[in-house]
Amino acid sequence: MKINSIKIVGLVLVITMLASCKKWVDYNPHEDFVITEQDYLKSESDYRNMLVSVYTPLQWINQVVPVGDIASDNAVSGGENASDVLSLQQIDDYTHTPVNSTLAEIWLTAYEGVNRANYMTQYKAANLAGEKVDFAGKEALYGEVNFLRAYYYFTLVRMFGDVPLFADKRLSLTQSKSLKRSPKADVYKQIETDLLASITVLPAVQTQKGRITKYAAQALLGKVYLYQNKFDAAAAMLDNVINVNAFTLVSDFGSMFLAAGENGPESIFEIQYSNVSPYYNWGGATRGQGNYAIQQCGIRGLNGSGQMPYAAGWSTNLPSQNLAAAYAAGDKRKAVTVLDIEAYKTANPSFNITYQVAPYKNTGLYNQKYLPRKGETSGQVELNYLNNFRIIRYADVLLMAAEAYNRATTPNDGKALGYLNQVRQRAFGNTTNNISATGAALKQAIWDERRLELAMEGDRFFDLVRTGLAVSKITGFKAGKHEVFPIPQQEVDISGLTQNAGY
Amino acid sequence: MCLVLMLGLGVQTLYAQSIAVTGRVKNKNTGELLVGASVSVQGKSVALTDANGRFSLNTSVGSVLEINYTGLITTKVTVAKAGEIEVSLEQNPANTLGDVVVIGYGTQKVTKISGAISTVKASDIEKLKPVRTEEALQGKASGVNVIQSGSPGSKPTVLIRGIPSFSGTDPVVIIDGVPQTLTDLNSINASDIESINVLKDAATTAIYGVKGGNGVIVVTTKGGRKNQKAAISVASNYGIQEVMNTIGVLNASEYGGMINEGSTTAGGPIIFPNLSLLGVGTDWQKQVFKTAAMQSHTIAAQGGGDNMTYFLSAGYLTQGGIVGGNDKSRFDRGNFSANLTFDISKKLKFLLNTTAVTLNSKGIQENSFNSVLGSALNFDPTVAIANNVPNTVGKNGFSNLLLSEIFNPLTKLENTYNSNVGSKIYGKFELQYNVVKNLTLTSRFGYTKYDGNAKSFTPLVFYGPLNVDNSMNADGSTVTGKHSSVAHEKVSNFNYTWESFANYNFKYKQDHNFETVLGLSVAKVSGNAAGATRQDVPFNSWEFADFTAATGNNSATNTNALAGYYYQYFRRNLSYFTRINYDYQDKYLASFTARRDGSYAFGTDNKFGNFFSGSIGWVVSKEKFFKADFVDQFKIRGSYGTIGNENVNPQFVSIVTGGPSYGSTANSNGYNFSDVFYPGSTVASAANTTLRWEKQIQSNLGFDLVVFKNKFSLTADYFQKSVDGLLFTPSASLYLGTVPSPIANIGSTKSSGFDFTLNYNEAIGKNFKFNTALTFTTSTNQVTATNDDGTAKIFGGNYFNGQSQSVTVFEKGFTPGYFYGYKTAGLFQNAADVAASPKQAGAQPGDIKYVDVNGDGVINASDKTKIGDPFPKFTMGWSLNMSYKNFDFNAFVYASVGNDIYKAYERNANYSNKERSVLARWTGEGTTNDARYPRYSFVDANSNIRVSDRYVEDGSFIKLKNLQLGYTFSGNTKKWFNKVRVYAQVKNAFTLTKYTGYDPEIAGGILDTGIDRGAYPQARTYSFGFDIKL
Repeated sequence: MKINSIKIVGLVLVITMLASCKKWVDYNPHEDFVITEQDYLKSESDYRNMLVSVYTPLQWINQVVPVGDIASDNAVSGGENASDVLSLQQIDDYTHTPVNSTLAEIWLTAYEGVNRANYMTQYKAANLAGEKVDFAGKEALYGEVNFLRAYYYFTLVRMFGDVPLFADKRLSLTQSKSLKRSPKADVYKQIETDLLASITVLPAVQTQKGRITKYAAQALLGKVYLYQNKFDAAAAMLDNVINVNAFTLVSDFGSMFLAAGENGPESIFEIQYSNVSPYYNWGGATRGQGNYAIQQCGIRGLNGSGQMPYAAGWSTNLPSQNLAAAYAAGDKRKAVTVLDIEAYKTANPSFNITYQVAPYKNTGLYNQKYLPRKGETSGQVELNYLNNFRIIRYADVLLMAAEAYNRATTPNDGKALGYLNQVRQRAFGNTTNNISATGAALKQAIWDERRLELAMEGDRFFDLVRTGLAVSKITGFKAGKHEVFPIPQQEVDISGLTQNAGY
Repeated sequence: MCLVLMLGLGVQTLYAQSIAVTGRVKNKNTGELLVGASVSVQGKSVALTDANGRFSLNTSVGSVLEINYTGLITTKVTVAKAGEIEVSLEQNPANTLGDVVVIGYGTQKVTKISGAISTVKASDIEKLKPVRTEEALQGKASGVNVIQSGSPGSKPTVLIRGIPSFSGTDPVVIIDGVPQTLTDLNSINASDIESINVLKDAATTAIYGVKGGNGVIVVTTKGGRKNQKAAISVASNYGIQEVMNTIGVLNASEYGGMINEGSTTAGGPIIFPNLSLLGVGTDWQKQVFKTAAMQSHTIAAQGGGDNMTYFLSAGYLTQGGIVGGNDKSRFDRGNFSANLTFDISKKLKFLLNTTAVTLNSKGIQENSFNSVLGSALNFDPTVAIANNVPNTVGKNGFSNLLLSEIFNPLTKLENTYNSNVGSKIYGKFELQYNVVKNLTLTSRFGYTKYDGNAKSFTPLVFYGPLNVDNSMNADGSTVTGKHSSVAHEKVSNFNYTWESFANYNFKYKQDHNFETVLGLSVAKVSGNAAGATRQDVPFNSWEFADFTAATGNNSATNTNALAGYYYQYFRRNLSYFTRINYDYQDKYLASFTARRDGSYAFGTDNKFGNFFSGSIGWVVSKEKFFKADFVDQFKIRGSYGTIGNENVNPQFVSIVTGGPSYGSTANSNGYNFSDVFYPGSTVASAANTTLRWEKQIQSNLGFDLVVFKNKFSLTADYFQKSVDGLLFTPSASLYLGTVPSPIANIGSTKSSGFDFTLNYNEAIGKNFKFNTALTFTTSTNQVTATNDDGTAKIFGGNYFNGQSQSVTVFEKGFTPGYFYGYKTAGLFQNAADVAASPKQAGAQPGDIKYVDVNGDGVINASDKTKIGDPFPKFTMGWSLNMSYKNFDFNAFVYASVGNDIYKAYERNANYSNKERSVLARWTGEGTTNDARYPRYSFVDANSNIRVSDRYVEDGSFIKLKNLQLGYTFSGNTKKWFNKVRVYAQVKNAFTLTKYTGYDPEIAGGILDTGIDRGAYPQARTYSFGFDIKL
């Protein structure tokens, strides 16, 4: 009996232990003080914080801008030698292959942007716990989200052509290797849907500079239409931006590219960089808060007196002599766009300038719009320049509208000329250089103007491809191949995506 | 008992005229009372000893009693008169058949084991006097590879049966039934150890389930005996350690010559115009290597009464380091142990083991070109030892050529200040309840608690007037912006395992013997650490180096003056286990083990894992048909099973808010609006719900042979092991974005190998005894999968020689951690040679010619290939024990064959010192074609310093690890003590190797083994000591 009772007690003990023990190996990340997605998107501030991070990959796709000029007739890769900045050298030389670190980084980070935007749209109606979180301005917030997703897809589609398209959710590891490339047209359709949605909810003015406005969405949509040769829709959409008279061309062209000129009256969409936050690291040179592309442009070994405004850099993305020669006499934009260092040195003997001639692909010219300037960086100085990228500015809108009217089903060259000449008058400071051509000549004049106005702002390559001029303007450009960049090799090897033709 | 009584009655009737004799039988070596020893007269068994080791019988005066107990030497006693006789049986020194081996949750007789186990006994450990217990396994336990480090108290590499992974290969350590880690072996006093059993195959380790994958080291400490008066022992050892050899580097005038040549070849000026002024200069190695003392003392008592037993021990060990001496490099340990058992009632027993340890250490920078040893090898030999430059602070000389990175090693040593004070308490509380005969319930709570307090001081230092790394100016003032600092860290951890299990042993129809166990285990590992650093230590002095005395406060211009951190961690496991051991007449053996393991870390889809193993054995020698009488035992064993390795951490989808994180992916948050930074939040990690453990399938085939009355024994095993579920980052689609892919169980390796132990013992005459043992261990290892496209590689073995280099790699299709670099094919002799060879950028005559492995006509990174393997092809240990009368002699030799070493201690700066081998350099066509000796120039356009087989050397070695001669006093001195043994010992007496560095034994992780960055060499130790048994 005694033994039996002990056995029973023992058995009961064991059973209780077994039952309670299962919980022992459960795990809640809260035990490690970790915030998980189940804890998040519970309040307005959670949504707002998460929106901020949807902007972040805009900074990471940094190299799209230099690539847009290096791949064109505007600039050469430069660098220290043939093996420095190899990925850009190959793009410049038109020897680029699917193995290209710069292209892979653009692809990866643009998709991070897409995924971040998707995560927000995924939990728009209800958060992960199924709760509905409503607050004033939620719709406008999603206007920003939709714009950003559109911008990431626009970057992808104009660089790579057909790309995997998903807008429902952030992909998880299980969706790895599950997607195929969608036709360009479908991607553009998604971009249009997103932009149209954002136009209806975004405010015309944002109190914080750098936030997306309704006009930014309209301007981008106009550009997207233009890229699809939807000229009528483009003209109408761009007129929305022009007709509100919210933007003006700044009279001093050069001032716009200085720190003081950022987010100015001509600015519609700028990617914001800053040197005030200590977020820079060689481990992610293009993923900090500073603009990496600025240091790239700089003049090697540059030294001079305190008054000399520029800082040294790496002689990459050097404007070509071809670009410099494209400017007519009297065009004030030339000196703002290209800096002839020898001429500058001679003109400013008091600066006591010394520098190292660009060791590779020297053109004698430097990208003045984005040249590193003293006092505009901090911390890890190479990585932390404050310069914003001017992505869409009013002059661009005017030129796009001009092109749209010129190429519309019912062309309106008068209106086109009006827009074009606004830009030219600012450039020359007079009306004597106005253009009066019509038809195809006007179209060519608008395209030429786009180059002169927007040079070194990263649009040239895409314009040349869009207008079909690339093959005639770019040495090494092969029609039917180089209109798009190759899909990163990893996506072919790992994800099984098809490669673009010719690569 | 019944049997004894019956026998006793029978004897009584037979010898009616006889006298009554009673007695007690003990194990002479352990003092253990022997139960079931047989007592026979004239070949007839007349009695068996009872539970208290007692027997009683009636016999005639002058009759000879023969006392026999399996595994012990049979002893004869002549009966002189009626009364009490005490008999002590001596242990058979060979791998004796009577031994009981401690296995998971129980013990098993050696004869019944069908798994693979290696055993090291107290007697071997006592002879070796190891600082760390692992030392006793090296070459003594077959199937175990131990690569020792010379740094006092530091953890060696221990691999049981091959290399399963690129990290996390430490075996689990069980001390008196309580799981601990290999690191914890630093806190055990070797003289407290009764035995070490190494469980090697799935049959023996599967009961540890997900912890057993890397093998299990079972350490059993000593205990007391019931009804035994106190046996007190005192042991002391005092030794002196010195470095075994130094590396030949250039003396000052040779150095000057080489520097001149290097500079002028590169088109530069002559640096030393007058070489004759330089002389031999300073050999900095002589300055940093010191003789260091080492001593250990232990006092222990064991015994017991009717209801309790005790083992008490106190020990102290201190080992100074030969690099820098006792002041800068040392390991001190104090141990206080109490192993107690109490019989609370007849059925209930309480066991309490408690060990308190103090662990104090000081260390120096190791393992890099700018460590103390690296500096000694690379520093300018033209510099005088003492500073003789007027108006400069510092007592040591400085170089005006080496202006950064490499400093006078004495200055480095002098400015090394740290202390590490730790205390640990570990042990167990255990209740054993004997429910009915052969059914015991055990509940055991084992724990380890450690508290460490570390401090280091970084003073302001003046390295020389031109040095760019100065924090102090030549006049003793502080360099602007530099600060002295003190760093504190307190770590604390508490780990426990609570296990409850039932052991039930029963017989079915006499011949079917079952030993079963069933139980569960609940375990938790937890810890935390907090640290603080503060700048500006008063008077730049170690004396005031403390957070409380330092004066630094953060300001807008200096945000690093005061900083702190804290972190915590934990792990939880839950396991159920069972085992059935079966034998039929000790002839057919079988064992089955099952364990179900749950871990908090596994993905939700894989919370629990099941592990099964089984083994069978056949004692052929017990068969009737087996006629070979000289064979005492011949057993064939085989086992198969699965085990695991819990090397994962929980994964979750986390949301991170704030600035960027610059981990491997530099995944940042936040953005600027109106030039103000706004922190953002985003998904920062992904979860893999299928995450599980690393799973191993192991099979083992072996046999044990004991012949000629235990004189000769051989145990041999062959194993195969396939590991799958190694953690790798899977290659994922880039369109998933930048959230790092969570690691997944996708890699695999295969190992196979062979190990054996050969034992021979002999006694010639009465006085000469001889025992020798040989162990052999080998394994081959192969990585069979990484990620799905085989592109994932884990690189390691990083070092710096002007460029950051990486030597080792864990890659599909190769042995783990092999050396990866360029193969050389001599030197370019002339320009035509360069032109005719595959295109190699920057090559000139005299430069190294690399092999175009892929034959594409260009030497580039795709020509890198396997250039060496740091792990030995096989290792062997040979031990010899001899005793003649009161003298005893012990020698132990360890050999490692086929392990390569990558020499990575040369910094290769223009003005750093070089190895003497540079004197054999190429100086013109035909001078040499040895790729190790290219031309010397400051400009190395060919990159002769790239990772290549130029730096790979054969590190095979034979080491005389231990040599000991002892003498035991007994007899007349008995009044004072039972036994006194004095001995003299030499450790690492000599090494036979072709390796030109310090020590071919270079411990590290799997990806760091065999990389010599100036590794701390093991010392040669001369010591003497005494062991007293009171």
